[in-house]
Amino acid sequence: MNSTSYQACPECDLLIDLVQPEIGEKIHCPRCGLLLLRPRKQSIERTFALSIAGLILFVPANFLPMVGITLLGKANTGILLSGVISLFNENMWPVSIVVFLASILFPLAHISLSLLISGHLYFNRCNRNLVSWMRWMHHLDEWVMLEVYMLSIIVACVKLMAISPLIIGWGLYAFIALIIVTALLTSSLDKELFWQRIEQLSRDNNHAS
Amino acid sequence: MRAKQCALKQGFINCHDCGYLVKITQQLSSCPRCHSHLHERKPHSLQRTCALLLSSFFLYIPANIFPIMTVTQFGTGDAHTIAGGIIELIDGGMIPIGLLVLVASILVPSSKLIGISLLLLSVHFRWKINARRWTFMYRVIAFIGRWSMLDIFMISILVDLVDFTGVQIIAGPAAIAFAAVVILTMFAAENFDPRLLWDNQ
Repeated sequence: MNSTSYQACPECDLLIDLVQPEIGEKIHCPRCGLLLLRPRKQSIERTFALSIAGLILFVPANFLPMVGITLLGKANTGILLSGVISLFNENMWPVSIVVFLASILFPLAHISLSLLISGHLYFNRCNRNLVSWMRWMHHLDEWVMLEVYMLSIIVACVKLMAISPLIIGWGLYAFIALIIVTALLTSSLDKELFWQRIEQLSRDNNHAS
Repeated sequence: MRAKQCALKQGFINCHDCGYLVKITQQLSSCPRCHSHLHERKPHSLQRTCALLLSSFFLYIPANIFPIMTVTQFGTGDAHTIAGGIIELIDGGMIPIGLLVLVASILVPSSKLIGISLLLLSVHFRWKINARRWTFMYRVIAFIGRWSMLDIFMISILVDLVDFTGVQIIAGPAAIAFAAVVILTMFAAENFDPRLLWDNQ
């Protein structure tokens, strides 16, 4: 039995004889209904391009003021990091670390890793760290919470509107763009294809040396 | 596409990290494709999930009793619990946002705690269940978990912006407990192996 054409469903362990799907086709597990494979058009190229766009957007999204309020004649605007710092200064360091990781460090790490991996695959470069980068990215997936942060900005704005007029800064627009780019990035990244390409690259590299 | 039986019974292990199918042999302990450690099922899935779940149950109590933030206006403090903040939003006429916070910070964490307990019980006592439906429930639990962070992020925004002489918002002790509940239940969901639901079939 050739194991490469077989796959097991990660959630119900059903052994499935898979036919490589066409682009745009979706393959679900026949027993539990999990989406198994969904090949994307130009997955590597698009992931590469979107990671660059994401890294660029990361700068204004983090350093330009997002929202602010005016109260008692004084204006106060905030960025992602300033929320973390205020929490830290109030002795809420466990919470501030969580906010920092989920809204700044993990998104940055996720985009950087996908840039590194797709860049190596795009230029057909082999690197022995590719495997660990892929695994890191796989484990980070769930902890990137930019879209949750967006929702909490909306709720916070509604609460603040009751006490003062809002100031909307350019940082917020950049942040929204960053969320759209990361969402596109996640959907264009075809993990199975990436793993197959990495395996192929390291095999070619071993033959060459 | 031809479907067969459970991969483990046929002598295959599915790599948890990269999804590579490996034939079980004596000497093979790590995945040939991604070098991660191979396990038939997630290691100590029930014990780990149970431990994480119990800790989040205990932390869920202070998270709801203590104030999550305090609004100070010219010397007088006004402490809000999670439920209090929602009641205030709904009283203020902001019903859709109030409902959103109600779902994210009360319904999601409590249904997660109950849902994971049910999953654990069903595997431990080998309940006769519709595994497809329960796997779907697991998937929903794993997906919704992160949205409970809404309250925590909102506090970090409010604490940062409302910081004037006279008017201030200060985070309360419940924020730490609530953040811990959200993270521990996310880990609990991650450690639970839905394939255990199918193994009992």
